[in-house]
Amino acid sequence: MPALDFEIILANFPFIASMLLFSMGCLIILTQQNLIKKVIGINVMETSIFLFFLSLGNIIPGGPPIVRPGMEEVLYVNPLPQALILTGIVVSFSVTAFALAIIVSLYRFYGTVYVDELMKMR
Amino acid sequence: MILFPLICAFLMPILAHFKKEACSIFTLVVAGTVFIIALYLTVLVLPEWPYTFQIGYWEAPWGIELILDPLSSLMVLTICAFCFLIAVYSLRTVRMEVPLEKAGWYYTAYLLLLTGMLGLMVTNDIFNMYVMIEITGICAVALVLARGTKEATEASLKYLLLAVIGSGFILFAIGFLYSVTGNLNLSYVAVELTLAKEHYPYLVWTAMGFFLVGFGIKAALFPLHLWLPDAHSSAPYASSALLSGLVVKVYIISMIRIFYLVFGPEMLTGTPMGTLLLVLSSLAIVGGSFFAYTQLNLKRRLAYSTVAQVGYIFLGLGLGTSWGLAAALLHIIVHAFMKVALFMAAGTIYFQTGKKNVLYFSGLGRIMPVSMGAFTIASLSMIGIPLFGGFLSKYALAQGSMQVESYGFVALVVLSGLLNASYYLPIVWQAFFTEEKRETFHLDMVPLSMIAPMLIVTAGLIYLGVTPGRMMAMIDNAASVLLPGF
Repeated sequence: MPALDFEIILANFPFIASMLLFSMGCLIILTQQNLIKKVIGINVMETSIFLFFLSLGNIIPGGPPIVRPGMEEVLYVNPLPQALILTGIVVSFSVTAFALAIIVSLYRFYGTVYVDELMKMR
Repeated sequence: MILFPLICAFLMPILAHFKKEACSIFTLVVAGTVFIIALYLTVLVLPEWPYTFQIGYWEAPWGIELILDPLSSLMVLTICAFCFLIAVYSLRTVRMEVPLEKAGWYYTAYLLLLTGMLGLMVTNDIFNMYVMIEITGICAVALVLARGTKEATEASLKYLLLAVIGSGFILFAIGFLYSVTGNLNLSYVAVELTLAKEHYPYLVWTAMGFFLVGFGIKAALFPLHLWLPDAHSSAPYASSALLSGLVVKVYIISMIRIFYLVFGPEMLTGTPMGTLLLVLSSLAIVGGSFFAYTQLNLKRRLAYSTVAQVGYIFLGLGLGTSWGLAAALLHIIVHAFMKVALFMAAGTIYFQTGKKNVLYFSGLGRIMPVSMGAFTIASLSMIGIPLFGGFLSKYALAQGSMQVESYGFVALVVLSGLLNASYYLPIVWQAFFTEEKRETFHLDMVPLSMIAPMLIVTAGLIYLGVTPGRMMAMIDNAASVLLPGF
């Protein structure tokens, strides 16, 4: 097997993209000074996981997973990851809302959303 | 059982809108009822472990399955009992610490947290586990936030960000498991994984590492513990007791479930993952104790002590032997007893005297002997003196490390007992044996609703230490679920 098989990379493109996005999100949360950007990092990270799940269940020529008479043999997309991700989106939405609310009340206390300035004021 | 507190939690804001004082009583009633339901269920399914229940009556691989085996019912009973006791304790303390208009929301979060923890214990489905983890995490943050001070807001934001990173890792690991096994039910994943281990070894190891990082952040394993001291020290006393005693533990129980039932204990003993767990937990025990020693604020000291005690639990896990596992499970329960008692005692001390700094505790034994007595018993148990609960788990841990012939860990357990003594005993000594102020002896002047739960927890600790037989039998039962041939 050659070291860099272009076909394999192309076939696994969604997985590689989701890995990259996940690491990017993590890096944003850990290194950014702006709290709002940290929240955006959370969203990037969680979206990458959603991408991973969705591409797991997807088949390229697959149809919608609805059984119609006479169509039992047709390839269809796995509906389970989609259902899971719907839940995941709700969870991520609530976390984002909660984090933003906390940031608003922090801003009322300190008047800034930058971590380094927060640390100085303590 | 889970639905009941969930429904009641959402009734709470309505109640709070009309009558703000009634919320705490209502929470108490709900927590008590859940405890009785849990007891009834345990007795009901006792002859036929493990009892499974399919939500929506779909068959196992597709529907979401709840499981009630010895492990989960033991933890469910512990959680319900402590939630009830802490609800009693918070009758008065929350009124003093949380603004009245927020009390309704505080109790909403409290009941939701109870829901999340119970759900996490009984679920047998990894995605459902993730949802419950998120519920537990968000409500725990809300409980920290409840006081609304600067420090609490800052600590809760830190907690929330790290918790989200942790659950992101857990969700990704769930995705890996789903991709190699095609199942979400824990039992089915375990069966499929024995095949998948050979085909995709790297992916399985990655999933395991992601689980370790995710649960490690949630359960405050040593280098990932940064959120814990801030969060636990700025929360109200009642929620600190709950967070330190139970919330950290439920994540560890789910991690034990995944590691032992899905990946199998043979992936922990003698592998890099097992070694990593052992090293991190040893660091946690020593580092947490040293940090605790340097703290002067009593709550921060207790919080760092939690970091050290979590180290014991992970040490027992990392050993991968039957005694080690039993020690981990036992320490989860015993530490809940000890830490709840310590935080309750710290709370009563604060409410009577307003003192937080341990340097000013001299002579406290004379004006509040009951709370300081409870504190003393809990700290002696923390050190591992025989006849108290803490001795049991340390003994089991030492046995476990002798099973794999690593005597260094026996020494570590003894050494850490000494370290614990170095930061708990000076407080006790100061309170009882310094004669600076000559204050007249009288009993504590705090309401009965704060004294009674503290005394019950302390009595439980002594009961565990004096008659360990029944508890050990229950733990053995629970461990036999995880480790076949226990």
